[in-house]
Amino acid sequence: MSREDAPGQPPKRVRVTAPRSQASRAPSGYPVAREVAEQSEVGQVFVRSLIRSQLRLAVVVAVGFLLVLLAFPLLLAWVPGLNRAEFLGVPFVWLLLGVGVYPLIGLSAWLYVRTASRNEARYLDLVEEDE
Amino acid sequence: MNAGVGYAAIIGVFAVTALIGFYGLRISRTTEDFYVASRTVRPWWNASAIGGEYLSAASFLGVAGLILISGADALWFPIGYTAGYLMLLLFVAAPLRRSGAYTIPDFTEARLESPAARRITSLLVVLVGWLYIVPQLQGAALTIRIATGLPPWVGSVAVAVVVCITVVTGGMRSITFVQAFQFWLKLTAIAVPIVFVLIVMANSGLTVPAVAEPFAAEPVGSPTAGAYRNISLVIALLFGTLGLPHVLVRFYTNPDGPSARRTTLIVLGLLSVFYLFPTLYGVVGRAFMPDLATSGSPDALVLLLPGRLIPGLAGDALTALVIAGAFAAFLSTTSGLVVSVAGVISQDMLGGRVRGFRLAAVFSSLVPLGVALLTDTTQLAGSVGLVFAFTASTICPLLLLGIWWRGLTDAGAIAGMLAGAILCGGSIMLSRALGAEAGPMGDLLAQPAAWSVPAAFAVMIGVSLMTKNRRPAGITTIMTRLHAPERPVPAPNR
Repeated sequence: MSREDAPGQPPKRVRVTAPRSQASRAPSGYPVAREVAEQSEVGQVFVRSLIRSQLRLAVVVAVGFLLVLLAFPLLLAWVPGLNRAEFLGVPFVWLLLGVGVYPLIGLSAWLYVRTASRNEARYLDLVEEDE
Repeated sequence: MNAGVGYAAIIGVFAVTALIGFYGLRISRTTEDFYVASRTVRPWWNASAIGGEYLSAASFLGVAGLILISGADALWFPIGYTAGYLMLLLFVAAPLRRSGAYTIPDFTEARLESPAARRITSLLVVLVGWLYIVPQLQGAALTIRIATGLPPWVGSVAVAVVVCITVVTGGMRSITFVQAFQFWLKLTAIAVPIVFVLIVMANSGLTVPAVAEPFAAEPVGSPTAGAYRNISLVIALLFGTLGLPHVLVRFYTNPDGPSARRTTLIVLGLLSVFYLFPTLYGVVGRAFMPDLATSGSPDALVLLLPGRLIPGLAGDALTALVIAGAFAAFLSTTSGLVVSVAGVISQDMLGGRVRGFRLAAVFSSLVPLGVALLTDTTQLAGSVGLVFAFTASTICPLLLLGIWWRGLTDAGAIAGMLAGAILCGGSIMLSRALGAEAGPMGDLLAQPAAWSVPAAFAVMIGVSLMTKNRRPAGITTIMTRLHAPERPVPAPNR
C-alpha cells in the first residue's frame, strides 16, 4: 500500500463517493503464470477436482452433523426412560439440547476447517508443480 | 421497576456507542478504512463484531421467553441460530470472500452476469433487511415500556432515530469496533445477572417454589409444537443464516478465504457460550415467574428476572445491566441491517452517491419503523424465525447453487428466488389471515421452510437445466476465482 505515512501527520483524507462493487483481491501475489496454469486444460482439471473435494467434504460434515442432531429426538422418543432420566437434578433432554449440541457443532466446524485447508494445500502443490 | 435505573442504562448505552463510534472515527479515516476496515481486521475482532451484529432482540430476549412458554422445544432455536453458522462455514464463507463482492447483489451480478438477476436479489435483500428490523424495534418498544414506563412507541422511535443519525453522519465507519464492543457488552449483560441469581439461590436458600416445575415437559402457555414445526424451524434457521445480508457483508473484512473460515470458527465458539445463558434464564424463569408466560409478556423475562429475585441496590444494578445489553442488541443489529439495506438501495436505485446513501439510510430506518408501530408481536423469536424461513427460501438457494454448481443460469436464479419468495411469503401471510381456521394445514402454512426451501431449489435447478444456453461465458474463470486458494506467501518472481 503506497500510503504516505509521514511521521506526525495523519494520512490524507480521501472523499469516497460511491461504493465500489468489486472488492480488491487479497493482496497476496497471484502471478500470471498461475492464472494461465489455472485456465489451461490441466489446470481446469485441478480446479474441478478441488471444487468437488471441497463440496464432498462440506456435504459429508453437514449430513453427519444433521444425522446426529436428528438422532437426539429419536433417541429420546425410542429409549424408554431416557425422557425421565436426570443428571444432577437436570433432565437429560435439557442437558442434551441446551448444552450437549454445542461441542458437537464446534467439533464439526474444526474438523471441516482442518480438512478444507489440507485440500487447498494439496491443490496449491499440484498447480505449482504444473507451472 | 425503578424508572431511573432504566433511563440511566439506556442513555449509558447510547452514549458509549456514540463515543466509540466517534473515537474509532478518528483512527480510521482513509479510503480503505471506509470500505471494509482495510481488510486488516483480526479474526478475533471480526468474530466479535459478527457476534455483535448477529445477536439480536430474538436472541437476547426472545429465546428465554420462548423457553419460558414452551420448555425444551424452544431449545431448538439457539441450536438453529448457532448451527446456521456451521452451514455458513461449510458452504459459503471462504468462496464468498474470494468472490470479492461486497454485497449479495454484487455476488449475483458477478456470478450470473445478469443485471436482471441482480435487481431481483437487491429487492429481496431490502425486503429481508426490513422484515428483520421490525422485531428489533418491537423489542425496543417492549423494553422501554418495562424499563421506564414510557409508552412503547418511544422505544421503537428512539432506536430508529439513533441508528438513522449514526449511519447518516458516518459514525458507522468504525462499525467493527462498535459491534465488537456490543458483543462483549451483551455477553456480560446476560451472563453476570444470571450468575448472581444462581449464587444467591445457592447461598441464601432461595428455594424453588414447590409447585413450580422448571423442566416440566408440558408447556406453560401455548400448546406443544410437534415434530413438523421443530424440523421446519431448524431448516429455516440452518439455511436462513447463510443468506442474511448484514452477516455476509462482514466477511469482506477478512483478508482471505482461510481467515474467513477462522473467523467463522470463532463466531461458533462465541455463540455457543452466549446461548447457554438465555437457556438458564428460561429454566430459572419457569421456576420463579411462570405467571409471565400466561399473563404478561414472556419476552420480558430476561429484563425482569434479576430484579424479582435479587432485592435492593444489587437488583437495580443488575437490571440496569440487562437493559443496557438489550439496547445494545437492538442498536447493533438494526444499524448493521440499515447499513446493508441502505447500501443496496443507494447503489441500485440512487446512483451510489453519498447523498443517495444517506437518503436510503433514512428511508430504510423509517419504513420498518412504520411497520413496527402498526403491527404487534407476541413472540420476538417466532417472528425472527419467519424471516429466516424467507431468506432460506430465496437467497440461500441462490448462494449455494451459485457457489457450487456451474449450471446455474440467471433465468433459473430469478425463477427460483421468485418461487421461494411467493411460496414462503404467501404461506406465512395466509396462515396469519386464516389463524386457527387453517386446521390441519395450519403447521404447514405457519412454518413453511420444510417445503418451501426444497421447492425453491427444485425450481432453480429445473429452470437452469432448461436454459443451459444462458450459462455465463466466463463461468470457468468465476468458479476458479471462488474456489482456488490464495497463495499463502507472495512468491518470488520467476
